[in-house]
Amino acid sequence: MPRRNDIKKILIIGSGPIVIGQACEFDYSGAQACKVLAQDGYEVVLVNSNPATIMTDPPMATRTYIEPITKASLTRIIAKERPDVLLPTLGGQTALNAAVELAEGGILDEYGVEMLGCKLDVIQRGEDRKLFAECMSEIGLECARSGYAYSVDDAVKLAEGLGYPVVLRPSYTLGGAGGGFAENEAQLRETVAQGLDLSPAGEVLVEESIAGWKEYEMEVMRDHKGNGIIICSIENFDAMGVHTGDSITVAPAQTLSDIEYQRMRVASLAILEKIGVETGGSNVQFAINPADGRMVVIEMNPRVSRSSALASKATGFPIAKFAAKLAVGYTLDEIENDITKTTPAAFEPAIDYCVVKIPRFTFEKFEGTDAVLTTRMKSVGEVMAIGRSFKEALNKACRSLETGHVGLGADTAFERSCADLSEQDFAKGVALPTEMRLYYMAEALRRGWTVAEVHEASQVDPWFLGQMAEIVAFEQHLQAEAADLDDDSLAEPLLRQAKQLGLSDPQIANLCAKAETEVRALRKRLGVLPVFKMVDTCAAEFASNTAYYYKCYDAETDVAPSARQKVMILGAGPNRIGQGIEFDYCCVQAALTLREAGFETIMVNCNPETVSTDYDTSDRLYFEPLTFEDVMDICDLENADGKLAGVIVTLGGQTPLKLADALKEAGVPILGTQPDAIDLAEDRERFAALLDRLGVAYPAAGVASSTEQAVTVAKQLGYPLRVRPSYVLGGRGMVIAYNDDFLTKHLRTAARVTPDHPVYLDSFLEDAIECDVDALCDGKEVYIGGILEHIEEAGIHSGDSACATPPFTLSAAIQEAIRKTTRQLAINLDVRGLLNVQYAVKDAKLFVIEANPRASRTVPFTSKATGVPLARIAARVMAGASLADFALPADDRALEHFAVKEAVMPFGRFPGAQIFLGPEMKSTGEVMGVAQSFPAAYAKAQLAIDTQLPTSGTAFISVADDEKRAMVALAAELVTLGFDIVATAGTLQVLKAFDIPARLARKVSEGEGNIVDAIHDGEIQLIVNIPAGGSSRGDSYRISAAAVRYSICYATTLNGANAIAGAIALLQRAASAPELLAPVALQDLPQMTV
Amino acid sequence: MPNTHNPQPALLLLEDGSAFFGRSRGADKVSFGEICFNTALEGYLEIISDASYAGEIIVLTYPQIGNYGVNLADLQRAQVSCAGLVAHEICAQPSNWRSQMSLPEFLLKQGVVAIDGLDTRALVKHIREAGTMKAGIFCGDKAQANRSELLAEVRASQDLSARNWVAATCQNAPLQGYDAAEVAQDFAAFLKTPKPTHYQVTVIDCGVKSGILRNLLYAGCAVNVVPWDTPAAAILSGSATDGIKPDGVFISNGPGDPEQVDATVETVRALIGQVPLFGICLGHQMLARACGAKTERLKFGHHAANHPVMNLLTGKVEITSQNHNFGIVFDSLGTALAPLAQAPQAPLVQNPDFGRIQLTHRNLNDGTPEGIRLLDQPAFSVQYHPEASPGPTDAHYLFSAFTRLMEGRPDYLDIDIAADRLAEWR
Repeated sequence: MPRRNDIKKILIIGSGPIVIGQACEFDYSGAQACKVLAQDGYEVVLVNSNPATIMTDPPMATRTYIEPITKASLTRIIAKERPDVLLPTLGGQTALNAAVELAEGGILDEYGVEMLGCKLDVIQRGEDRKLFAECMSEIGLECARSGYAYSVDDAVKLAEGLGYPVVLRPSYTLGGAGGGFAENEAQLRETVAQGLDLSPAGEVLVEESIAGWKEYEMEVMRDHKGNGIIICSIENFDAMGVHTGDSITVAPAQTLSDIEYQRMRVASLAILEKIGVETGGSNVQFAINPADGRMVVIEMNPRVSRSSALASKATGFPIAKFAAKLAVGYTLDEIENDITKTTPAAFEPAIDYCVVKIPRFTFEKFEGTDAVLTTRMKSVGEVMAIGRSFKEALNKACRSLETGHVGLGADTAFERSCADLSEQDFAKGVALPTEMRLYYMAEALRRGWTVAEVHEASQVDPWFLGQMAEIVAFEQHLQAEAADLDDDSLAEPLLRQAKQLGLSDPQIANLCAKAETEVRALRKRLGVLPVFKMVDTCAAEFASNTAYYYKCYDAETDVAPSARQKVMILGAGPNRIGQGIEFDYCCVQAALTLREAGFETIMVNCNPETVSTDYDTSDRLYFEPLTFEDVMDICDLENADGKLAGVIVTLGGQTPLKLADALKEAGVPILGTQPDAIDLAEDRERFAALLDRLGVAYPAAGVASSTEQAVTVAKQLGYPLRVRPSYVLGGRGMVIAYNDDFLTKHLRTAARVTPDHPVYLDSFLEDAIECDVDALCDGKEVYIGGILEHIEEAGIHSGDSACATPPFTLSAAIQEAIRKTTRQLAINLDVRGLLNVQYAVKDAKLFVIEANPRASRTVPFTSKATGVPLARIAARVMAGASLADFALPADDRALEHFAVKEAVMPFGRFPGAQIFLGPEMKSTGEVMGVAQSFPAAYAKAQLAIDTQLPTSGTAFISVADDEKRAMVALAAELVTLGFDIVATAGTLQVLKAFDIPARLARKVSEGEGNIVDAIHDGEIQLIVNIPAGGSSRGDSYRISAAAVRYSICYATTLNGANAIAGAIALLQRAASAPELLAPVALQDLPQMTV
Repeated sequence: MPNTHNPQPALLLLEDGSAFFGRSRGADKVSFGEICFNTALEGYLEIISDASYAGEIIVLTYPQIGNYGVNLADLQRAQVSCAGLVAHEICAQPSNWRSQMSLPEFLLKQGVVAIDGLDTRALVKHIREAGTMKAGIFCGDKAQANRSELLAEVRASQDLSARNWVAATCQNAPLQGYDAAEVAQDFAAFLKTPKPTHYQVTVIDCGVKSGILRNLLYAGCAVNVVPWDTPAAAILSGSATDGIKPDGVFISNGPGDPEQVDATVETVRALIGQVPLFGICLGHQMLARACGAKTERLKFGHHAANHPVMNLLTGKVEITSQNHNFGIVFDSLGTALAPLAQAPQAPLVQNPDFGRIQLTHRNLNDGTPEGIRLLDQPAFSVQYHPEASPGPTDAHYLFSAFTRLMEGRPDYLDIDIAADRLAEWR
């Protein structure tokens, strides 16, 4: 049966902001679904609070709502749009949970909305471990032995029955939040108490530990006729005990014999049937006892997932796209294989390469947290690499991560750091699952540990270790025979073997004491050149024309460059804090618009979660690491006939920017703003000279290349100072220093971060208003895309600060000054494309803090808030168009609405980490709220993140001395709004003086009934805690930790608190005037199309 | 341990002169055969030990082969019959709890020629475009010998179709004793205890896979194996099987060109209508030929574990294991009739000898016939491999269908895959 014609309008729910455990893979799946359903003639109503996504680009859906994904908000949208069906399986756990709420709350019935893909009871059976285990036992499959705890005491009893260690899994939480291992009762009590709070159902599963077993995942698709296929099997490199999201994983499964694999295959299909998944993609996880093959089912997700994005990229089979088609009635045999175009989608992909995924972590941002990997996911991104062997793919994945490793081993910095470790600490490095263990294991093999010994320590399967041992043995061989490289006849086979094992030129250079450029030149001279193979779903059994490629060192290439004019776009690599989906959004916009403009578009990226690595986003996709070597190899191929118009390096964050100089030097044309202009803006001295010449004010600043020098500079400038290493994104290593002690201590860390670059010290403007500007320039004209006024004061990283456009307090004169200065800077920096400028406004005076002639994190937000697709225009300008070619609306026009962006913080994932905002970015994602007024837009943004905005209750206030006066008005406002106030002694004293009723909050040291207890007991609904000097010790820390744990509305700045008070007032009014929060579709706002 | 550190050089040379250099990973010998490729991701041991590959050099497209070693219980035939193995990389350090030895060790022990270290994807693309052809693998010094002389040797080697491979294989790689209790024990970690035996099934061995025998056993069949050329009378009377008369006869898979295997065709022709019949692969071709069908050579055959086959009676898709270079021409079975009302998608013909024959299964990749049943006689067969071994087990229900046919049920093929899925798995 082909498509259902009884459906016209489909509601799709996205996954909301990027958080740990739910990242941009759902932008990929949602975007695919929107596209394919629109092509099929359906009207798509999309709800997603995340503005940084491709899916929320207005052309992707009929109606696009960047609104909170809450029951109330979705109900308003359903009432307004009246969709026929809801497709809940493409927006991760967020969408599934929202759909469950809507169904259970009777909303879907009330409005006659049918749930597609899977019904409520299916979601419940899949998600509820108890129901799930019952289903498994009915079909004769085993789960780990377990029981449910609803209290800590329950859990203790269960654990005694099962025997320690046990695994704890709170029900219905994302990415395993709140879960973990317990080796003993004390650990169990702590984790269960947390888990019970985090679980919406207040239950925690206590399970026998199968740590050390092999872990597998099967990606399954099913149609309504009951046809089921396995898209991909995935084997975890890390044994059970590390969350799959934090594990290195390999596709396809490597160490299963056919009968073992087939057993898992039929079990997967039977599980989908038993749980009742009607249509779509699901995944099923298994554990296998390596000693006797005993198989247990871990879990299944009746929706597309992070691993289905990986499986799609690993096989070329577009799971989400087909899941959407299956949901509206097609069957697998009716859908054409997207890649071959000649065979049906009802088949199981055959692959002739190996895929390795490695997660990317950012523990360095969360000092104090435990970096050991557990069943609770902590990674913020991932890379995928494709090779003709596990060895090749592993090496490529290592260098894709951008964590300073040029591959597995031959990595002098890491080897040096190991040399200083004691035997015992080194052995711990091999045994403990951490981000670094892979490198420790390789180093152990280098030191002569046997595969069996490393296996014993790490429980990683000996097959993987044997493969690593081959790499290490070859590295040692190459190092010993380095002199052979001087003899061409010996060098050729040696280099070829190195390349087939996946060694990078820098690795070879390290091993042979040569420069990377020498290795490359030698390789080219000897003809040791890569070839590119196609990802074709069928291992070459059928001809295929889809241009999805990877590099290897086999004999024959599958790629013939076309004779068209080409533009290459370098992607942003793995997601990390400070460089995430926003940059993928920009790269995708460029690919789409340049294709429309007639260019052949070539994408290079290594992040499997993204839309940019969808093979139909660009004309050609190279799934490759973003290193000089890998990018240059592609340039050599594609530019063989000189038809490469150029490479775009300014849309993917720092990753491609870092390559700009080397590419240009190698003769590759760089499109848009040239590397020298980027350097002009980055180099503080050059930039300061420019600002002086233009007569633009900036905070007094100095440069220091040593700690002593920094202290001298600090004396001249005076504290507080903003301390900033050069060439960083996301404020890595940035702090506000208030004294010499802090400065000198910090510089030891910062110096380690970027040894080659000096440290900049700027005089920090306290209590200034900060704003961001995104602008376009074609070399002659400048267009101001938007002025974003930050809500928090200067000093908080712009990525962590909420902001609004149009500005809500800046005067017309200041706004005009901002536009004028931005125009001057753009022209004088010779920007061709995007420019982001950060300003501080203090005492009605404008200061330039920094300028970045590249896409900024705010480009998607600004574009959606103003209806002008900045990234698309920028890409066209880079490729030669003028701003005059576009019918741009006046950049000083008045907007009829406000848009607010709010950051989403991952503190809940990093117990023990500091919870204060500062100049180093810590947020993982963002949401947007759109409304007629600033407070309404702000309220929507707050509702869109998990924080509850209270409309009544008790507010706790504690502010530093210099904020006390300013706090009084806020407290008075909260009292007017009906809040009770509790305050710390100093704050209380001031409130008393102003006759504002308040009670004293007891300090933690004062024992029972203290403020943390009050938070724990649900007595506090709003916290305003503004410490002095940005430190969080003692009570402040405990209060913030409790606030994070209980998702209590929490302000750390006075401006933030005032905005919250405004939003609360609005919510109170909205109770009787719901139109204040009416959903706004982007299509109803002015939109410019390019 | 074989010498895996300093393997001998090896050369794969195709009839059209294409040459691929690599390393010898098995017996350092010379071997000739027809080249084919299989795209299954795992199951290398089942593939190379499948007697249907006799006379063929197998290219495995998954680039790392041998990862989980060798467990002898997985062999489809105790003696390997294929002419050689070609892989991108063969692993000498396997890891799996069931592994008894590494793949190179096994290959050496069995005297199988193998080559790795070459661009198998380039090779597969070439076969896909140029079609299947003769090839030779030359190991050791011979790999460096005069190319045109080697090429002459390849070209002079025997054509696959020029020989009755069934006869040769049954002689060279005879079926070893088949002990039901031993099989049950070997697979105890995965499969339930077999059903008690209800049926006596005589298996005509044209190179039968142990996976088929195992599936028959688990479906409740006592298996009595007879050679490929056993006359029908000896089968029906039970004289070929120690006096045991069959409730049904199974016609097995086997190697080579079906047009070379006339004795089996004769036997099957005489069995139709006398006893329930089920054929797989070559057995399917034998049944079709017994009904007068023509067979044809495919360009590069079907060798995979992922081919979609539609059951035309139910409209459902099965993912199947495939291994055949030849197929039947359905139209040659008789004159076209209108399809049955309850199976409008299933073409029907009138056969001059045996009545109506229905096409029950079709390959969705290229539309080739994959299964037939005789509507007026108790007989059916499929071109693909419901026993999997290796590959997906979606079509396992066909073994149950065979027992239902022996029960005399007219609805014997009407089985829900989903309900059958976990039937024998532990």
